[in-house]
Amino acid sequence: MKRIFPVLLFILTLSLLSPSLSYGQVQVRLRVFEASNVGTGIDSSLRDMRDQFKPLVDFSSYRLLKEETPTLYLNQPVSSPAHPGRNIELTLIRQHKNVAEVRVKIKREQMDILNTQVRLSPGRTVSIGGPKHGEGVIIITLSAQF
Amino acid sequence: MTDSCSSVSKLLEKYFDREVTDRERLFVEGHLQGCPACRDALTSMEGLRTLIKAPVEEATQQEDFPWVWQKIEREIRLQEKGSWWQSLRSWMDLSPLFKKKVWIPAVATVIVLLFISTQVILKKIPSYSDTSVVEYIESKTHNIMVYESEKAKMTMIWLFDEEDQELSRS
Repeated sequence: MKRIFPVLLFILTLSLLSPSLSYGQVQVRLRVFEASNVGTGIDSSLRDMRDQFKPLVDFSSYRLLKEETPTLYLNQPVSSPAHPGRNIELTLIRQHKNVAEVRVKIKREQMDILNTQVRLSPGRTVSIGGPKHGEGVIIITLSAQF
Repeated sequence: MTDSCSSVSKLLEKYFDREVTDRERLFVEGHLQGCPACRDALTSMEGLRTLIKAPVEEATQQEDFPWVWQKIEREIRLQEKGSWWQSLRSWMDLSPLFKKKVWIPAVATVIVLLFISTQVILKKIPSYSDTSVVEYIESKTHNIMVYESEKAKMTMIWLFDEEDQELSRS
């Protein structure tokens, strides 16, 4: 009896805590591409993006400029050049089960032109677009890989 | 006193204590109706009982039996008092609830129920996917539009450049 009680207690505690365990790291897929209406070239890796964007912004050309899969650790900012003169900074703020809360900052000459916090879940893509680039615009997409 | 009186007198004490059979009772009662001597004997028995009963009842009323019993119980407890673990174990040994056949399935059931209820409670808490994907957003330099599509699982944040803003104003 004396031996069984602690084991049962341990199993019980573990079963109660397991759903709320935090892991503190997540790998994200970061894609930077130029979307424009000049030409009709669509990079094969961006065909899915075009289908997603079509209801909102319909560009005829999608050209991948950069793709990265950095691993984010809790409260450790990861910075990456995303556009001439601009940097994107990603920080994992919290992770709960299959949801990662990530702070995204886009900086231009040390000034935040965008500061946002988004929740990334499986299959969910967050895109940031708008800044002019060449004949089109720059679009940055973020998705988490759990 | 007749012959029947002598046979009734043997039964009279039993009759008084209500220990006779129905047949004997009928016999005694039939005899008493016609025999004043035996009736007197029965009356004197009743008088004697009352005489003894009254002081005994008085004495028992004066004695506080619950208090005496509490004292006895306390003494028993003091002598038997061991550690809390021993008392718990002895209680568990005595209780049929803690027989292995009972408590093992009971504990297993409780664990399973707790696990299921935890999962149900956690599911009832609004999940992140039910709420907005963008927790907060700010820009000192651009106007922003946020478009969220649950169907396509896509969130678009659009920054309007200054030129766009000027164009939209004109």
